[in-house]
Amino acid sequence: MSNPSQTTEVQDFEPRIVAFLCKWCSSAGSDLAGVSRIQYSANATPITIPCSGSVSPMYILSAFNKGADGVLISGCHPGDCHYMEGNYLARRKLYLVKELLQFIGLESDRFRMSWVSAAEGAKFAEVVDEFVEDLRVLGPQNRLKAER
Amino acid sequence: MVNVEEIRDYAAGLLEKGEVKSVLGFRRGSASAFAEPCTITNVGEAASLVWDPTCLNNLALYLVKDRKQQAVSKTPDTRPVGIVAKGCDSRAIGVLLQENYFKREDVVVIGVSCEGTGVVDPRKLSAKLKGRTASRVTFAVQGSTSVAGGRTPGATDGADGINVSVYGDETETVIPAREVLADRCLECRAAAPALNDVVFGNTVEARDFNEPFHAAKEAERLSEDERWATWERHFDRCLRCFACRAVCPMCYCPECVVDSTTFVVTLGTSAEEKANRIRWCERSANTSESAVYHLTRAIHLAGRCIDCGECERVCPVNIPLRLLNTKLEKEAFEMFEYQAGHDIEQASLLSSFRDEDPNSFIR
Repeated sequence: MSNPSQTTEVQDFEPRIVAFLCKWCSSAGSDLAGVSRIQYSANATPITIPCSGSVSPMYILSAFNKGADGVLISGCHPGDCHYMEGNYLARRKLYLVKELLQFIGLESDRFRMSWVSAAEGAKFAEVVDEFVEDLRVLGPQNRLKAER
Repeated sequence: MVNVEEIRDYAAGLLEKGEVKSVLGFRRGSASAFAEPCTITNVGEAASLVWDPTCLNNLALYLVKDRKQQAVSKTPDTRPVGIVAKGCDSRAIGVLLQENYFKREDVVVIGVSCEGTGVVDPRKLSAKLKGRTASRVTFAVQGSTSVAGGRTPGATDGADGINVSVYGDETETVIPAREVLADRCLECRAAAPALNDVVFGNTVEARDFNEPFHAAKEAERLSEDERWATWERHFDRCLRCFACRAVCPMCYCPECVVDSTTFVVTLGTSAEEKANRIRWCERSANTSESAVYHLTRAIHLAGRCIDCGECERVCPVNIPLRLLNTKLEKEAFEMFEYQAGHDIEQASLLSSFRDEDPNSFIR
């Protein structure tokens, strides 16, 4: 960084992540990360949802609109959905959302999806840590944020 | 070459036999050379039907309006409706049938093939005529591109041209189709209506205009920052007049999730319910809210948009809305091998999946 003021801004900046977690897997996975005392970034605000397939694209747009720096959607591995096919439907739908957000020029690293099972507490911590690191580089999200 | 007399005769025949209650078509409009949509209900009116490159509208919209009218009418007229449909209009009817908006027997599709051309873009035409107003716009067929007035070179760009004459100068000028056709027509993959009860005109397979999704591919080539700079400008000037929604045959929801004024309020709706309705998107016309509106609309049209380009045409501030929709159409086609309005029996894009759907973007 050539500009010193920018450097401090990046260091002071704590990304805010909205994490939509499937209640059958990722939510339990994040719980496991907690009870296993795994240290990971506390930047993610978890929102438990019934299934990754229940994520409406409006949740994602709304999160960005209200100032989220990143949105994480986490569901069960393919084949493990409690509702048989919810995560397959989510995969198709969110692929289109991802492509659309990239198309209008939102940084592609701001939207992320992961498969985390209830047993993968360590993976959840890793996903969040990685996401936070990537978002620190990008800085605050101002493109879709509402001026309030 | 489509003979308009055939369309008139067919429409008159339908009305005469009482097979349809009305026929949706185009007639000569009052705005210069441009045709306007019309509903004809008796045989005599059939003679007013026209077919030329100014038949811009997607008439499937009026099937939706008719259906909505029937739903609120105490004595609905449930007889079928005839509709003059271009390739794109017939795909729109296909999607509406796929979604069970109405039944196949409720509509008689009078298909008209655009053959080697399509409809003009009023903005391109106006620019081409340097502000003069066209008085007559017709299809020029290849081989008969005799140069009237000796002013125009006979170049028709390998495809059919468009004959244009302007007010005060009735000599016809042949303009190469490529220069005045609407963008969607340049990228059209099926100019002949696949879903039809009768079709006029030939199916022309080789249309050497632009490759499909040309404009979306061009837009993708820009860098991330350039893309955002462009779209920020577009979203910023959006007026939120909802013209794109009003003209779209697929935007038929009575309640629109991004427009709080459409939320249904009955006598039984309490003040608390009204206050607590979730507003995903405010109505203020600023960049962030307009972005939410347009992105939501694009997603809601994923796998449903049939690229009739109406949203772009009616936009008063020239936002290239078609790009958002064709981008998703392109992804649906390339990644999921899905084409909207192609097969009325298939499951919709977002309610189906395949094991080989892209998975590598997920950690």
